[in-house]
Amino acid sequence: MTDTSLPAPPPPSAHSPASPAAPVPQRPPTGGRGFWLIAPALVLIGVFLVLPYLNIVVMSLRVPTVGAPYGEGFTLGNYTRVLSDPYFLGVLADTLSLGVTTTLICLLLGYPVAWHLARTTSRWQGVLYVLVLSPLLVGVVVRSFGWLILLSGNGVVNRTLIDLGLIETGIALMNNRLGVTIALVHVFLPFMILPLVGVIQSIDPVIETAGQSLGASRFTVFRRLILPLSWPGIQAGTILVFVLSLSAYVTPVMLGGAQMKTMSVLVVQSLIDNFQWPTGAALALVLTGCGIVAVVLYARLSQRWTRSVQP
Amino acid sequence: MTRLVLEGLRKTFAGQAAVHRLDLSTTEGEFISLLGPSGCGKTTTLRCVAGFEFPDEGQVLLDDRDETRVPPEKRDIGMVFQNYALFPHLTVAQNLAFGLEMRKVARDDIRRRVESVLGTVQLSAMLDRFPRQLSGGQQQRVALARALVIEPRLLLLDEPLANLDAILRDEMRVFIRDLQKRVGITTLYVTHDQAEAMVMSDRIAVMLGGKLAQLGPPESIYLRPASVAVARFIGRTNLVPATVVASESAGGTAGAISGGSPGGSSTPAAEAGCRVTVDSAIGRLEGRAARPLPAGSAVQVTLRPEAISFAASGLTDVVAQPSGSSLLRGRIERTYFHGASVEHLVRTTGDTVLIVQTAHGHRRAEGSDVAVRLPADAVWVVEDA
Repeated sequence: MTDTSLPAPPPPSAHSPASPAAPVPQRPPTGGRGFWLIAPALVLIGVFLVLPYLNIVVMSLRVPTVGAPYGEGFTLGNYTRVLSDPYFLGVLADTLSLGVTTTLICLLLGYPVAWHLARTTSRWQGVLYVLVLSPLLVGVVVRSFGWLILLSGNGVVNRTLIDLGLIETGIALMNNRLGVTIALVHVFLPFMILPLVGVIQSIDPVIETAGQSLGASRFTVFRRLILPLSWPGIQAGTILVFVLSLSAYVTPVMLGGAQMKTMSVLVVQSLIDNFQWPTGAALALVLTGCGIVAVVLYARLSQRWTRSVQP
Repeated sequence: MTRLVLEGLRKTFAGQAAVHRLDLSTTEGEFISLLGPSGCGKTTTLRCVAGFEFPDEGQVLLDDRDETRVPPEKRDIGMVFQNYALFPHLTVAQNLAFGLEMRKVARDDIRRRVESVLGTVQLSAMLDRFPRQLSGGQQQRVALARALVIEPRLLLLDEPLANLDAILRDEMRVFIRDLQKRVGITTLYVTHDQAEAMVMSDRIAVMLGGKLAQLGPPESIYLRPASVAVARFIGRTNLVPATVVASESAGGTAGAISGGSPGGSSTPAAEAGCRVTVDSAIGRLEGRAARPLPAGSAVQVTLRPEAISFAASGLTDVVAQPSGSSLLRGRIERTYFHGASVEHLVRTTGDTVLIVQTAHGHRRAEGSDVAVRLPADAVWVVEDA
């Protein structure tokens, strides 16, 4: 299982600001032939995504028992147990808030990078792209080990700080929320930056010039013109990073320790360590459901927000 | 209304001078075009005026106040861009309101002013449309309205018609010029299209290689170019190398003639010029030049193709020609039909090929022998660069 292996709900189609009354471009009818082109993908998704998912749904309704993965009959008890257990709910809340913080930090760190990548005329642009993508070039386990070496109590960061006399004893940089957040931001930054680059590139630089010539300061130009126009990229990037953070597994396992458990860690524990397949399945589906609800709510609310940006 | 003065403007990019010691001043409400080929520094000049570039040397004065270092958002200058640069996420009304909101104008006043300006550009019905729902010409008019609604001190237009098709472009020329006259705003217009500059401008500043090559009303730029380069750039012309035989001032005294500096505005005395006689590849010619030229100096004779014509018949009527005009024997090599006119390539004395442009009715057949008449006032002599 890797950080990115769990299926992500499809992000809603990129919403372009100010779309009301936009004429829908008429596409020529593709006829029946187009279907055969998407058939392989459909089969792949059907066999390897939809069927297993249905299996999970069925599993989540089975009766848990001791000595076997599941017993006879069906029940909703798994859901009521999971949703009424304060421990599970706490982990769910932790997972969701981890997703939100990771997403926000990625946005704050990623936007300036995306801006630079989109607007630079430097001949190093290609190198910059590779640098941005570099977190993805290393396997998730190796990457997490790297962070382990850096962040552990006796790790590079703590050693350096102690040697410099800045701190007395090592600070806890891992086996907690901080460590997981750092590592997740690291690996998910490209997913924020790339959609942003695309959208920012499509914003005509003359827009800024025009804004300034009309009397807007650089900050006002950003707030009133550039930010709303960047919105489709912000939306795509934040949804991607949020969904990926929710489903991350290896990073929380290696850097979260006992303190920072996420839902995916819990799911694997139920399935493999405790051999409770129905409970694990219910946990997984609760997480998926929360993720979908969060994304849909966000897309709805942010649509309203985009409009309110416009006076 | 504002007077714009540029003094010794100089801007360098990576060691290359984009604008080189530019002096320019407008009168109030004047329409001046910066005309030149791409890379001549006209857009850089405009950006210095707008405040998007700060010149390395020189000053930008607005009504005698030095604004060289004032940032663009504090300059109160309206600007129209080649690709319109409308804000795609805002409606037409919101686009227009933007500049007024920056000026903290009251909401009711914004509404009133936006509606009034939209009326001026004949787009009142488009208030709630988004830019992409408008045609190119309509977008252009919105851009113009957005620049004017803030009642700026100065209007800058950067090739605003370059993206429009030919018919619309002709309409917009007249439209912009009329609007500018009605509003009475001092305007700087950047273009590489000489026809555009001719039709619209009070004066044209021809820029070549970062320098002001000539500044004057369209007629003087076209009929009395200050240099070979200007003559070549403006319109089609015949250039014939020649040597000065004699030169004398015509009309007023020599003192009344401007120093002939390329940038100097042309006074009537300078426009009258002085009479020169030259020996050229097509024989001895009588013509005019901006100022007296020393005998023996190398010059070029410029002859506008439409200013020369064919004599009615052969050379027999040479004595009947008005004094000062010359006749040349030649043979038509090629003709090109242009619709409104016909262009003839005539091989004449000294193996020189002249372009002669006539109305369609005066077309001569290829291969026929003709006499080309050069009226004295069509012969303009410039120093060889």
